Amino acid sequence: MAHFNRHPITPWILLAPQLLIVAVFFFWPAYQAIEQAFYVEDAFGLSREFTGLSNFVSVLSEPEYLTTLWTTTYFSFAVAFGAMALALGLAVLADRVLRGAHAYKTLLIWPYAVAPAVAGVLWLFLFDPTLGILPELLSAIGIDWNHKLNGDQAMLLVVLASIWKQMSYNFVFFLAGLQAIPKSLLEAAAMDRAGPWRRFWTITFPLLSPTSFFLLVMNVVYAFFETFGTIDATTQGGPAGSTRTLVYKVYEDGFVGQDLGSSAAQSVLLMVIVGVLTLIQFKYVEKKVQY
Amino acid sequence: MATLALKQLKKQYPNGYKALHGIDLAFGEGELIVIVGPSGCGKSTLLRTLAGLEDISEGDLEINGKRVNELEPAERDIAMVFQNYALYPHMSVFDNMAYGLKNRRTPKDEIQQRVSEAAELLGLTELLDRRPKQLSGGQRQRVAMGRAIVRKPQVFLFDEPLSNLDAKLRVQMRLEIRRLQKRLKVTSVYVTHDQTEAMTLADRLVVMNGGHVEQFGTPMALYDQPASQFVAGFIGSPAMNFLSATQAQTGLALPCGATIALQGEGLATGAELTLGIRPEHLQVLGAADALPAGAAELEARIELVEPLGADTLAYCRLQGQSEPLVVRLDGEHAVAEEQTLRLAILPARAHLFGADGKRLATREQATAAIE
Ligand SMILES: Nc1ncnc2c1ncn2[C@@H]1O[C@H](COP(=O)(O)OP(=O)(O)O)[C@@H](O)[C@H]1O
Ligand SMILES: [Mg+2]
Repeated sequence: MAHFNRHPITPWILLAPQLLIVAVFFFWPAYQAIEQAFYVEDAFGLSREFTGLSNFVSVLSEPEYLTTLWTTTYFSFAVAFGAMALALGLAVLADRVLRGAHAYKTLLIWPYAVAPAVAGVLWLFLFDPTLGILPELLSAIGIDWNHKLNGDQAMLLVVLASIWKQMSYNFVFFLAGLQAIPKSLLEAAAMDRAGPWRRFWTITFPLLSPTSFFLLVMNVVYAFFETFGTIDATTQGGPAGSTRTLVYKVYEDGFVGQDLGSSAAQSVLLMVIVGVLTLIQFKYVEKKVQY
Repeated sequence: MATLALKQLKKQYPNGYKALHGIDLAFGEGELIVIVGPSGCGKSTLLRTLAGLEDISEGDLEINGKRVNELEPAERDIAMVFQNYALYPHMSVFDNMAYGLKNRRTPKDEIQQRVSEAAELLGLTELLDRRPKQLSGGQRQRVAMGRAIVRKPQVFLFDEPLSNLDAKLRVQMRLEIRRLQKRLKVTSVYVTHDQTEAMTLADRLVVMNGGHVEQFGTPMALYDQPASQFVAGFIGSPAMNFLSATQAQTGLALPCGATIALQGEGLATGAELTLGIRPEHLQVLGAADALPAGAAELEARIELVEPLGADTLAYCRLQGQSEPLVVRLDGEHAVAEEQTLRLAILPARAHLFGADGKRLATREQATAAIE
């Protein structure tokens, strides 16, 4: 401490790289997006005109935007629920066989280290209607798989790929949460005549609720924003927009459709959504510290 | 109420560690049994095998004469109070106590009645809505007991339930547990490493050491007739003094040169053994007092005095002895450091232990033989 006081520049030098990254990759684009959201640009990008809230108004009154919002919500909760339920199941199993937990833990963390696009391609190959193994197996039981034509199947595919990617993150938190529950509590419950199932739902699960809530917020944020790579590599938002999430739509309208004003307005709306989610989490976590 | 019997009970942990080596014990109905021993001797392991939280590797456990080795904890009708209380942190005091009853589908009004009865008994009525976090250590302890009581189990198990409390509260809770147990008359097994707690609570006492039972009996039997040097040193505070001794023609020769008219039964002359004498059994002699018949006379130089109020402990140096000799004097006894005490060990007060640590039968020599 004293050292830093004598050289007040040192902490800033140490922080500089991080601050620079945040400034270049977050503050600058965020500022650009907010600014752009209030302008309309001409088709050649040569001039622009301040139009106030009209970008927001046109985005929100566009029926397609509301469809996408619904798709995103639906997709996010499917991913969050699936990734959390599976991770919790695996964490409970791992917690039982604590000895092997290390090897098991490492294996389950691998998917997290895989880039979203790679995860997408992996699942794309598995499910490719002409090349993949799974459509062949599915046709044996009478299911005709073609996610390039069937919107529900496309949705299922991106949900599965996104779940697989996020599960390891959830697993690590759930396992840590489970290991923080004193063993004697479950032993006391066992002596109080609670069977394994009842022990789980009346003791373990309530005690994991702070972890679960934290993960719910993180998973929804993940599904909203970080699944872009997965979607882009598998379905590109199709067929017919059935897997188009809000983030994907920002990209489509901005980079493909070249409507930068609308795209920027959508990004600003997304920023507001994530801000609200974070706020809810902080409030809840603060309250939940004391049970 | 129930009887408990352990027959050649052995426990080996999955990692190969043998924690219990053939325990044989039988507890009667309504008895308060205390298991005492140093840390790591297998007390908790024994208690947990009784509870069904650990598998029994070999041997049998019987409750009311019925073998229960394979029964799940829930099926044994046993309640346990854990060292850290293990209260459910997300439930109120009421729900903590009611949990076991709910799991048995006890009717709501009966739960209500049993919990309020137990709360009344333990002085918890005002606290029923609180969470464990909002309670003091002593109150948590009571809730843990309440949780055990409401179920009216056949057997209570306690694993060092007072070790997290401060000294004063410990004494108070000790009395309370004893009072409750006598009132409810439920067979109880209580584990502690504290010998004072053990002595004051127990109807009968099990002293354990290294996974074995050293001795099982009433507190006074263990105090008066310790079966081994280990028990002798463990039971009683301050601990018994041990002096090395050699069997001689006419008695036992002590390293300080004194002789006592006592012999170990069946030992050859010249055999090495250990003589034990409790601090409270060393007799202080005035300069003019005659030595009682057959007693050994010791000259001990006081190194340290510990006045405890009712008693005073004197730590003395004895010739030929590395450990200090502890003497318990009554509180009025004015002694100072550097003073020399004239002490007598009466043959009737001495305990003899062989080289294997087991108690030796003693033979008092006719006093005439020495004189
Ligand atoms: N789960 C376990 N696996 C292996 N060894 C254990 C386990 N639990 C306890 N032990 C060992 O068994 C011995 C007895 O432990 P414990 O019964 O807890 O002792 P105490 O309660 O008397 O202090 C100790 O040496 C301890 O290290
Ligand atoms: Mg223990």
